[in-house]
Amino acid sequence: MEKRLIKKNTLTGIAGKMADEFKVWAPVKQEENVIFSPLEKNEQPFFAYLNSKNAPKQIFFPHTETLMKYTSTPKGMVFAAEENKADKTVLFGVRPCDAHSFALLDMLFDQEKYKDQYYINKRNNTTVITLACVEPPYATCFCTSVDGEPVDDKGADILITDIGDNYLVEFVTPKGEKLANYFGETKADAAAETKKKEIAEKAKQAIKSKIPAHEIKPILDVNFENPIWATIHGKCLACGTCTWMCPTCHCFDISDEVKGNDGVRIRSWDSCMFPLFTKETSGHNPRTSQKERWRQRVMHKFKYYVDNFNAIACVGCGRCVMSCPVNLDIRKVVEDIAKIK
Amino acid sequence: MENIESKLREEAKRLLLEKRADIIVGYEKGTLPLTATPCFVSTEAEADKLVYNELCTQNLAKYVHDLITAHKNSQKRVKPEDRKKKVIGVVARGCTTRSLIIHLQERQYERDEVYIIGVPCEGYVDKKNLAKALDSAEIIDGNLDGLQLKIKTAAGDKTIAVSDVIAPNCAVCRFNNPIISDIMVGTPAPVKNPATEYDKISEFEKKDIAERWDYFTKEMEKCIRCNACRQACPSCYCPTCFAEQSQPQWVGIGEDKSDTQVFQCMRLFHMVGRCVDCGSCISVCPMGVDLRNYLKKIDKDCWELFGTRAGSSMEEMPPLGKFSEQDKEDFIYNP
Repeated sequence: MEKRLIKKNTLTGIAGKMADEFKVWAPVKQEENVIFSPLEKNEQPFFAYLNSKNAPKQIFFPHTETLMKYTSTPKGMVFAAEENKADKTVLFGVRPCDAHSFALLDMLFDQEKYKDQYYINKRNNTTVITLACVEPPYATCFCTSVDGEPVDDKGADILITDIGDNYLVEFVTPKGEKLANYFGETKADAAAETKKKEIAEKAKQAIKSKIPAHEIKPILDVNFENPIWATIHGKCLACGTCTWMCPTCHCFDISDEVKGNDGVRIRSWDSCMFPLFTKETSGHNPRTSQKERWRQRVMHKFKYYVDNFNAIACVGCGRCVMSCPVNLDIRKVVEDIAKIK
Repeated sequence: MENIESKLREEAKRLLLEKRADIIVGYEKGTLPLTATPCFVSTEAEADKLVYNELCTQNLAKYVHDLITAHKNSQKRVKPEDRKKKVIGVVARGCTTRSLIIHLQERQYERDEVYIIGVPCEGYVDKKNLAKALDSAEIIDGNLDGLQLKIKTAAGDKTIAVSDVIAPNCAVCRFNNPIISDIMVGTPAPVKNPATEYDKISEFEKKDIAERWDYFTKEMEKCIRCNACRQACPSCYCPTCFAEQSQPQWVGIGEDKSDTQVFQCMRLFHMVGRCVDCGSCISVCPMGVDLRNYLKKIDKDCWELFGTRAGSSMEEMPPLGKFSEQDKEDFIYNP
């Protein structure tokens, strides 16, 4: 597909121009955090960021989402489907690992057997513009261990790479190409492409943190009852920070909130780290302690998702590593599992 | 601070060898530069991983409560005469011992179920203060050299004094040395600067209601309801938190602003006479919500109205656990 070159100081302007036509989600600075947020009128995006504090998954899979509404009337219940409208949206400047997470979430929410219209609708209406990592942002980045790369177009509609003097803009999908008119007229030459390849290779080599993510799959297959599971969770606080920050965690809970005669059915994020997770109506919980919950977290990412979709449900962004309040490092957990004989 | 690590390890080994403690909760080196993380030591060999320095942030009393509760639950189906006691050893500085006192006063366990290894405290390094001092440059590597942090960042090398990036609660700490202990490792550290502890709160009190409400709503909007604050807090030990009760459901699980505010308000009010200003809830918060402003206000009220400070003495009962005819009550009718 087509490739173009743009000047480096034009990015903010392009995002601003898009905001006239689309709802533009971009990184913005809020006090000490950089988070993805819809740009307000004349608000400046903050592209000089490493990565956002939390993953941008909430654009497609919000923390809380209304599924339907109902009212109790004398004639019985009246149900109303939620409108499920999605604005034309541009997600501007996600990192390749986060864009990769969209490709992974698609496997689940948009599969042959089950179609999640709430997710799909937002996903179809959103163009994802990835800003490649020409230098890995953090020492904790480990994308290359989980099928990612710092300069990568997985899950992206447009990929923007800093090639020194200019940005190289690559339109990856027809959806991305539709926005081509925002990116000037300068066609990219072969030299730009060569430069990008060099930069991509260098960035890949610069990722130093590595985990045996693929190697542990056969070990997990046969070690559900291994004593190692009793050794991981000791210091875990059972907070949901890791799962809330994670770009691929997608477990949810459905509940009804009723006020008088009116009720809404909402879907909200759930976390396998919470004691309430998988607790049944009877009061019984098949995952009785943090030990079983941690096993679930590891298994889901590195075994079950591989079994179901042939992909690891981790993109190596390192958010859980950096944000865990007690430094329970998933990289170390995976390394320890790899040592099981 | 004097290096007490070797003494601490020796002490831990002795306790395990003499079977005075079954497990010791302490700190070990973290996987990220300039971090320490909670750890559990149950063999002599493991004791060599113990560290103690200004990078140890968490209040370990939380784990003492968790371990004892888990043990007691496991003993429920054992005949009373066959029940075994488990002793938890804990590396405890001032605030940790205050939390232990609260647990003991609230009859969570007996004094002989916990073996307190007291350590002095110079205050711990606050992540946010450190990030500010480094202009948010990523820390590639670093080590602690006495009371100096030698740091290699993405933007070059830097040396920072621990005292410049100490946590705000530590800077005004009144109880940085253990209040109770079974053994003290190291000599008590000099007291900090508690005279200024309520300065910021007094300033905040002077603001009008609208301003205070704006600040509260702004802070609460940052909250993502991950529950890290509650989970890290040694005083939050309810088997089922009100926030997780479903009959009746006190707060919704969604993102509704008022649900978040109610959750945080309820937690804060449960901290009357029970918050020791250890800063754990603040250090674990991924979004940097200013909880301390409110916790410190509650602490100030408790001191001014009832003359008590949470967990400051074994003998003095907590304000909500005692009654005196002199108790102030006019504020109940006249806020």
